[in-house]
Amino acid sequence: MPRFLHIALFAIATTLLACQPAPDAAPEYETWANASRSFTSGEVDAYRKWRALDPESEDGRRASQKLSEADARYRRGIELLERGEDGARAELLAGVAIAPMNPALYLRLARISAERGQELRAAEYYTKWLTAFPAHEDAATVRGELQALDPELAGIFTSPPEPVTPTLTESPAMPSWAVATFGVFVGLALAAALAGLSNWWRRRGVSLGELAKKNPELHPAIAYLVGSLRHELLKHRIGAAGDAIAALTEGHSSREQLDFLRSRLFSGEPLADAWASHLRAFERGLSHRVDLTRDRGFRRAGRAIKRIATLQEASIEKSRSVARLSEAHHELVRFDAELRDLTAGLVRTEVDRALLAEVKTEVLGEYHAGQVELTDFVLDVEEETELEVFRIDLILILKNIVRNAILAVGRGDEPRRVKLDVAIALEPTGEERVLLRVHDTSAETLRADTLLDRRVDRGLGLVAAAVSRYGGSITVEDGDDGFEKAVCVSFFRAFDGA
Amino acid sequence: MPRQLLVIEDGHEYEEFARLFLSQTYAIRAAHSADEALACLESQVADALLVDLRFERAPVDRLRGDLAAMTKRFHGDRARAVQYLKDQQGTLVLAALREAGHDCVAVFVHDFPPRRLTNLRKLYGQVEAVPSFDARLIAEALAR
Repeated sequence: MPRFLHIALFAIATTLLACQPAPDAAPEYETWANASRSFTSGEVDAYRKWRALDPESEDGRRASQKLSEADARYRRGIELLERGEDGARAELLAGVAIAPMNPALYLRLARISAERGQELRAAEYYTKWLTAFPAHEDAATVRGELQALDPELAGIFTSPPEPVTPTLTESPAMPSWAVATFGVFVGLALAAALAGLSNWWRRRGVSLGELAKKNPELHPAIAYLVGSLRHELLKHRIGAAGDAIAALTEGHSSREQLDFLRSRLFSGEPLADAWASHLRAFERGLSHRVDLTRDRGFRRAGRAIKRIATLQEASIEKSRSVARLSEAHHELVRFDAELRDLTAGLVRTEVDRALLAEVKTEVLGEYHAGQVELTDFVLDVEEETELEVFRIDLILILKNIVRNAILAVGRGDEPRRVKLDVAIALEPTGEERVLLRVHDTSAETLRADTLLDRRVDRGLGLVAAAVSRYGGSITVEDGDDGFEKAVCVSFFRAFDGA
Repeated sequence: MPRQLLVIEDGHEYEEFARLFLSQTYAIRAAHSADEALACLESQVADALLVDLRFERAPVDRLRGDLAAMTKRFHGDRARAVQYLKDQQGTLVLAALREAGHDCVAVFVHDFPPRRLTNLRKLYGQVEAVPSFDARLIAEALAR
């Protein structure tokens, strides 16, 4: 929630009774002491009292000047809000520090809130304004606006209420200072609660799925953390217990199976501790941007872990325990499948001829690289594939390397040839590495350690950093026939159905 | 005479599971590194291998794979290279066994993507994978 609302709320608390219609006549002037105390103690009638000071007195002139100064700040703050510009908070705060706010401004605050979809807040301001100016010529229009937001609330104002003269001093039940103090207390408490809510709202993390959607640069970390959780906890301890739990559920488990089940669920690090340890790893690894309590899957899995952890090891075969265990196990198996699907859907970029052509076109369109008269620039794609790299990052990486190659051949004699190709290499692990190579005919040497030097002025140090972030590598290799060398960037190929 | 199953893992979970659910069909032995597995198979051949993929708890000096080359690939980051070798150790152990001529079926409990499983079969012949510790599925895979 925007901070200006807190301030506006405070202003409301300090000026609430100014919402009341002014008496037809103000035969008696307020004293400055009374008006001043009314404002500083947050009395709701403060604005009217300030206006009711003798305009000929020094106090009256001082109050009038302060009201004018404050009004300028309040109006400026509201204008900034209306234009959606920064600085509204500072202006409103400055106004609050000087004098009470004119309740006429509630209407503008109401309309700002309504435009921003803050309907409850808007209804509150409309209501305040209508209370202050029930017979105003715009009251019918304002009632209509409130009606559109909250028909029920607007119904209260279908007829102009009788003007309410501030009668706090006449109340036999409660003295005015008590009402005012209570009003201020409630206002401040509400403002503090809203501030806390606003703070929490801003700082809260998001679910893992949301985080993955919005932050492709975190995908490698997410994939690794999920992989560890699935392997170490869900596979070895939960998944491995599946058959033993099934046997137990069917009522024919052997002593060995029970022992095995106990060893999986109750031996070594307690399950709840292991679970908590993985959650901490997520928080550490993802810089507290994730809030796993907001993730339905993690919440369900956490409850399932807790259900298992609270079972008594000695009485695991009792029917009630078996039912709870089976249910929790089923939940965790489902969670494992959700995690598998999540990591399978992480960022993918298709590496094809179109991508290479885009790199080539963009670099040749640059001023310096475009000046180089190339003998040829060949594109070659052995096989179209996909990488777990964000496309814009991949293009930036390749553009840097291609640009360097073109500028290097431009400094030498003909032939000035560049080739950008894609090849696939099968690893002994069954994985595939996608090799993106930029060959050139420049005789200039380029050492591998130069590529990794972050201080290098050719931009490749940053390229190496980007490559590392995605778990790739960058090396200098011999070029194909007709080329001096090749800079090779490689990443693991993204497989479907992980 | 029971069929011989060699379990290869960094801990004891696979072995415990196999003794519990597969011991009626198989005589079970266990190894915790490529060298141990080779020694086991030299003394007695196996009809099937049950192989863990990740060897998180294995000491570095018992890992298969070219640590120096991998460190170079990861831009000098040795810790990352070690982690990679641990994460993929099962496949590298299998490579060592195949190189030594042991070509019996190898079963991983892992949900490999189909293309990667195809690649493993290209490289190492009879390789099977089951996605979870399901005794029936593992038994079926081992019997193939």
